[in-house]
Amino acid sequence: MAVPLPAPGDPIALTGVGLALPGIDHVTALRSATRGAVRAADPVEPAARIGRRGLRYLDRVSQLALCAGQDALRDAALLPADGGGAAAAGGSVAVVASSNLGSLDTVCELTSTIAEQTTDRVSPMALPNASSNVVAAVVAMRFGLRGPNLTFTNGPTSGLDAVFWAALLVTVGRCSHALVVGAETSNPVVARLLGRPAGELLDGAVALVVERAATADGRGASRLAELGRYARRPGVAACVDRVLAGAPGAPGIWFADSRPPGTAAVAAAPRVAGDDLTAAFGLASGALGVLQCAAAVAWFAAGGAAAALLTAGADTDDAVAGLLLRPSGRGPR
Amino acid sequence: MSWLIAGTGAVASVGGSTDEVFAALCAGHSGLAPLRGFDRRKYRARSAYEIDDRPAPGTDVPLRATGWLVRAVAEALADAGLGADLSDVPVIVGSGLRELRSAELGWRDGAPFDPAALHFGTALRERFGAAWTYTLANACAASLYALAMAGDLLDAGVADAVVVAGTDTLTESMFGALDRVQLEPPDRIRPFDVARRGTLLGDGAVAVVLRRDDHDSPAAARVRAVSMNCDAAHATAPDPRGIAAAIRMAHERAGVTASDLDLILLHGTGTALNDEAEAVALGEVFGAAVDGPLLTAVKSMTGHTSGGSGLLSVVVAARALATGRIPPTIGLREPVAEAARFRFVRDAGHAADLRLAQVDAFGFGGVNAVAVVERVGGPAGTQRVGGPAGTERVGGPAGTERVGGPTGVGR
Repeated sequence: MAVPLPAPGDPIALTGVGLALPGIDHVTALRSATRGAVRAADPVEPAARIGRRGLRYLDRVSQLALCAGQDALRDAALLPADGGGAAAAGGSVAVVASSNLGSLDTVCELTSTIAEQTTDRVSPMALPNASSNVVAAVVAMRFGLRGPNLTFTNGPTSGLDAVFWAALLVTVGRCSHALVVGAETSNPVVARLLGRPAGELLDGAVALVVERAATADGRGASRLAELGRYARRPGVAACVDRVLAGAPGAPGIWFADSRPPGTAAVAAAPRVAGDDLTAAFGLASGALGVLQCAAAVAWFAAGGAAAALLTAGADTDDAVAGLLLRPSGRGPR
Repeated sequence: MSWLIAGTGAVASVGGSTDEVFAALCAGHSGLAPLRGFDRRKYRARSAYEIDDRPAPGTDVPLRATGWLVRAVAEALADAGLGADLSDVPVIVGSGLRELRSAELGWRDGAPFDPAALHFGTALRERFGAAWTYTLANACAASLYALAMAGDLLDAGVADAVVVAGTDTLTESMFGALDRVQLEPPDRIRPFDVARRGTLLGDGAVAVVLRRDDHDSPAAARVRAVSMNCDAAHATAPDPRGIAAAIRMAHERAGVTASDLDLILLHGTGTALNDEAEAVALGEVFGAAVDGPLLTAVKSMTGHTSGGSGLLSVVVAARALATGRIPPTIGLREPVAEAARFRFVRDAGHAADLRLAQVDAFGFGGVNAVAVVERVGGPAGTQRVGGPAGTERVGGPAGTERVGGPTGVGR
């Protein structure tokens, strides 16, 4: 279905991007990210990015989310460019997080501790991190965001689902802005549960700010991209068909998940980035869809003039989510 | 805009269907029992409100929460007169602990674990052909958040009906972390009692079919509005200011005032912090009208069913509005000072002419959701017991509690 519009001619826009990815210092660098460069880069150091205060008892996925979230809020001018603390209009800012694997290390380590000892040996500080919504909660607290606070743990599609729901919350007036954060981390627990080497897993976070184009224009914020149709369907072909139905032209680029069969509708699009995002950053899981949006923004900034098709999930998954992003009428900054 | 609940399904420690659960709760039956699936020696608290469907005592198996979810959804679809094909119907599942129990068993015991089973879309696709599905991990407010989101989908005009659900089972990590931080291990949940010692988790799943309100179709109840907000204050402790804001927002969206409400299904977890914050927030919002509505906390019988608890209270509220029967809060002897003026329903079901109910759900991370539910049709034709609005107790000495539900689930 199309992301419904709040009013005719008033699309939902992306107005901020924040990244906490190894080896990437600016959104435009997503265009040239390679596996070699990402693996050679140091892991993101949250304390160097946002200061040590308040990080001590946070798990890594929450720390990464704070880094990305702060930069997205700054990029959207909801925080001063050099400031932290509470965001302007925090009462009407939603947080929509996506993380499938973020709390698994805490959960499994607690289980081992209890099996080997008793609950007396459990750290009380583990309690918040054992809750699957810790990322969204931590981001809300840090920046004073008191709107709806959602955490999607929806499998491979989760990041794109989070972007859709952010747009829907804005559309129906639940909030004026939504901060979307996709975050995952690499650790031995997740590696063992997934049966993948830890080096193949993303250790990073990506954040976006979503609002009505009219809201952005009214406060003088730049639109980085506009949201088009979204669908969550069984299989890549069914999803792409639904997302592209009624689209005025073929998309110029397709950011796909790692196992995408081609479809005729987008055969002409240069298949640049889908495999490359996973290849460059590792298995991004709940962060993938958010990362795809950021990569599309980078493509628009580099002159991409047609729509970008994003899909997450494969035919072997329960569903595939798709989203169309369009370059904004308001050019890149 | 309002929405209709076209069908309901429920599974809990006290019963295996909406009918069974509601009857058990009205009878004051509790699902409390000694811990069934964990090694009791590892914990200070040794009781919980579990569904008794494991293959053998002391053993545990993966995917129990998924099984109950599928069962509750099937019941709700049948109740709504819908088939079991959800290929074009959105499904939103709110869960605090999703299938983390399966991850624990895979990690520690080497039980089979498929990462695709961490979210419920995988099972919903297999069973119902559903692909437009969401697993929302919003702590103990998850399923009430899911109800709000389903309403937003209907309001936005992108769906005509949405299945909303909740499901949760105990995890050792959450049961253990709570065990570590509760000062004295609770032997039961005693919501709003001065002697309460904390919360104990419970198993359960719940589902409803939510439709656009055409003011005509038969329905279990009407949902007038659901609010969603976040305290943005503390990782685990609730903030009465955020809760009060969520209650006000729900009333405002529903177009009602505090004095219109006849019944409140409390979050009522039995922890020191929740019950105090909830009582303070209600006192602040309701003011002089706080002695108007009847209040009850079904966690005293179901245990804390985590993310599924809010929607379970909605299903209970719908039945209460339709029948005039209200499940009691069992084990409540002396309410805390903050709740001194509250009209708790205690120890036996009341009958009353009820029109509007409020349902509370709050979770870790300061996530709050509050629903306003309305009776569909005329007053329940039940006999009124005692004085105005059924405030009398109808039997049962104070504080009686029957341990062990009348009906197990599964097997």
